[in-house]
Amino acid sequence: MNLYQPNLVTISDVIDETPDTRTLRLTFQDPQLAAGFDFKAGQFGEYSAFGAGESTFCIASSPTRKDSIECTFKAVGKATRAMRELGAGDTMGFRGPYGNHFPVDRMEKASVVFVAGGIGLAPVRCVIWNVLDTREAFEDVTIVYGARSVSDLVYKRELAEWAARPDVKLWQTVDPGGEAPDWKGEIGFVPAIVEKAAPSAKNAFAVVCGPPVMIKYTLPVLEKLGFADDRVYTTLENRMKCGIGKCGRCNVGPVYVCKDGPVFTARELAALPQEY
Amino acid sequence: MKELQELARTLLSSGTVKVVFGWEEGPRGARPAFITDAANAGRLVFDHRCSHTLATYLSPRRPHMTRLGKAAIVVKGCDARAVAGLLREAQVKREDVVIIGVRCGGVAADPADAGPLTAENVAERCPGCTAREPHLADHMVGETKPEPPGAPTRDARIAELDAMSAPERWAFWQAELARCIRCNACREVCPMCFCERCVADKTQPQWLESSPHPRGNFAWHVTRALHQAGRCADCGECARACPAGIPLGLLNRKIAGIVADRFDYRATDDPSVPAPIGAFSVSDRQEFIL
Amino acid sequence: MIAKTITAEELGALVADLVSAGTRVIAPARAADGKVDYRAITRFEEAAIGAELPRRSLKEFFLPPTEPLFSWHQGKGDVTVKPVAVSFPPHVVLGARPCDAAAVEILDRVMGWDYRDELWFGRREATTIVSVACPGVDGSCFCTATGGGPDSKRGSDLMMVPVDGGYLVEAVTPKGQAFVGAHAARFVDAADAGTTAAAEAFRTGVRSRVAEHLTLSLPALRRWLEGSFDHELWRAIVLRCHGCGACASVCPTCHCFDIVDEPEGVRAGTRRRNWDTCQTARFTVHASGHNPRADQNARFRQRVLHKFSIYPGRFGEVLCTGCGRCARACPGGMDLPEVLKTITALVGTGASREAAV
Repeated sequence: MNLYQPNLVTISDVIDETPDTRTLRLTFQDPQLAAGFDFKAGQFGEYSAFGAGESTFCIASSPTRKDSIECTFKAVGKATRAMRELGAGDTMGFRGPYGNHFPVDRMEKASVVFVAGGIGLAPVRCVIWNVLDTREAFEDVTIVYGARSVSDLVYKRELAEWAARPDVKLWQTVDPGGEAPDWKGEIGFVPAIVEKAAPSAKNAFAVVCGPPVMIKYTLPVLEKLGFADDRVYTTLENRMKCGIGKCGRCNVGPVYVCKDGPVFTARELAALPQEY
Repeated sequence: MKELQELARTLLSSGTVKVVFGWEEGPRGARPAFITDAANAGRLVFDHRCSHTLATYLSPRRPHMTRLGKAAIVVKGCDARAVAGLLREAQVKREDVVIIGVRCGGVAADPADAGPLTAENVAERCPGCTAREPHLADHMVGETKPEPPGAPTRDARIAELDAMSAPERWAFWQAELARCIRCNACREVCPMCFCERCVADKTQPQWLESSPHPRGNFAWHVTRALHQAGRCADCGECARACPAGIPLGLLNRKIAGIVADRFDYRATDDPSVPAPIGAFSVSDRQEFIL
Repeated sequence: MIAKTITAEELGALVADLVSAGTRVIAPARAADGKVDYRAITRFEEAAIGAELPRRSLKEFFLPPTEPLFSWHQGKGDVTVKPVAVSFPPHVVLGARPCDAAAVEILDRVMGWDYRDELWFGRREATTIVSVACPGVDGSCFCTATGGGPDSKRGSDLMMVPVDGGYLVEAVTPKGQAFVGAHAARFVDAADAGTTAAAEAFRTGVRSRVAEHLTLSLPALRRWLEGSFDHELWRAIVLRCHGCGACASVCPTCHCFDIVDEPEGVRAGTRRRNWDTCQTARFTVHASGHNPRADQNARFRQRVLHKFSIYPGRFGEVLCTGCGRCARACPGGMDLPEVLKTITALVGTGASREAAV
């Protein structure tokens, strides 16, 4: 056994979030891991489709839910296309958990604002459930989530659950032109809806993830609302291979995204060269 | 090389070109130079240490180069064949490059070699060269130089390999290619390897294994040699760049010999002569297609 | 330990002992084209110790150009994974250059960072490194500027210095000491102060010659690099770079790698790690096509930064031993010592700390 050898996991569920985005629920084949696998919100893993290769995804499920882990992905390359060919009962590989995490502990007794776009909801969703599963430890919870169109919204069932909860303020939006006739949510780009929602920055943290352009325009909005840049968290996506700081691929400026990240504050992000 | 320096000065200060690709003195002998300021034209040199082919720098895939603007390029005869290849395959437009031909008497295998040029240190493509004054040129500089020293050795070496039995020849190439570490220097320096996405880099499907083991190495080098069939300019850069000292020139030269035999085509600096890969003639031999 | 000496003859017999005991002996030796590489030898006569600098470094004996990580086999609906060995048969490197030995130890830092790379350390544990003090190579050497030197013992288990008739030998590590002990009959105590003096003269002579090539203030260099990400230097000096990666392949400290799955048939295959380099265009490209380091300027800058700013920031030492191979191997005439000299001059003027252009 060496640290590049993955653990075996079985696909227990396949959920198609959108036509091109799929969630896989995975259970460890090793009974000890199945019982004791633990991780923190924001950490990632290297998921193997044997024969095609590994792909880096955050662990999209919450650490408060112990019976399985989840990943959400689009088929964009060799490994992810091979993963799309797999179904319930098939075996994949998993190495992890790697990387740092969202400091959920630090956010207790404060309000949390979640901002996500498209498939970027995956790493954020992990933290959302982590927070909602211990809801009384937190103050206000606001979620602003948007995608290009209605069909591109992921975790639709969970969005419905969050919308129904009185202790969560959920804003859903689609890009102009992406609405369906019965769409009851907002229409506009995510940064604009964050501005409209105007969540209070008082004793609050923000967790942001989505396409680079969304992050780029959301951070200034949060700054304007009064969020300090060391209270805004995001997660970086970089090309990775080993996930453990050896292969050099994810090195950006002085950091290794797999070791010092993938979670960074807006302040830390601003200090990095734009090489991600 | 006053003539060359003067010409470069004129081309730059008149705004005819924005950059001159040539050679200059570096810490380890001659090296490629990119003169953008007419005041620096005095840096240009040409001597037996100018082994490098500059044609690769014309590739449209180098945004940090194309950003410099219209170039003038100094070419030896072999380099002119490479430029002709780029023109032939529409990678560069003739009106977008000014070609300065330089008369050549052969170059050293190693640009760090102070010389003099002898049969021992001359680049293997030079002895017997018939292209010492490029035809493809807007300007010609330099005095006619004596013939390169030494006798051609490559065809004799290829004949030796051809005389081997197939298992012996297999063993020879396996031993040579075992040193390959798939750094891809051969590809990156080659003027004619300009594909946007090399077949070796494609993963869906994975046509060639990327690992540096004998199987993968063989697949890569044979593929590249075949992709260079009828296109290789015989500039020698691949073998010079190889950090493992693999005699890549032999592979390309052998294939060039087959192309010459089959299609009566040899690398030429005349871009109007179509290469076999891009042209069809009813008189093409077809007995190998069944 | 008292300094020892060994004659060339006894060294030959030592090699024979090792080989017959099943130890793999690696030494500088001539390849078919006459150039010197580190390669396995079976007789001492094959070795070319102290001749030209081997074309490649020692890293391939600890991080092979391609290395299996594990194999898999796909059965009916399940997968079995077959591990690879993490312990290795004994190896001795005989005649390592100090720049190459030091590099291996520098790489231990990243290979042991939080996660211990079992394959790297398995090979490390199995290998004894016997270095030979270097006679110098050419003007591209700058080992002293990186904190090493032609006499540096760093990373070596034993250090040999050429003297009349053989070598003066010093054990540097307990492993080196054990090696001498295991082959005690081959060594004799260094006879006289004359031998040690001759060795010292050799070392200091080469050191002062190499030191003339380049002097660096590594801290000042690092500070400049940290503050000069957008400096115009990175646009001016990278034009001749082909992005070919020859530099990384011959470099003793470059260690980036790729991980690929290689199917063998439909049901089985091997996952491997292969040498890779930040110098290629595809190193950082995302599946979406977005490339964070989109041109060669950015990629070359990364190499210099990683070696002289990022690695020292993380591990306390530069990722370079000044062997000069990158400058010798580069087909485009890129010259790292020259780049470092240029930056040193910029540091000296105190100018250009801010982004220019």
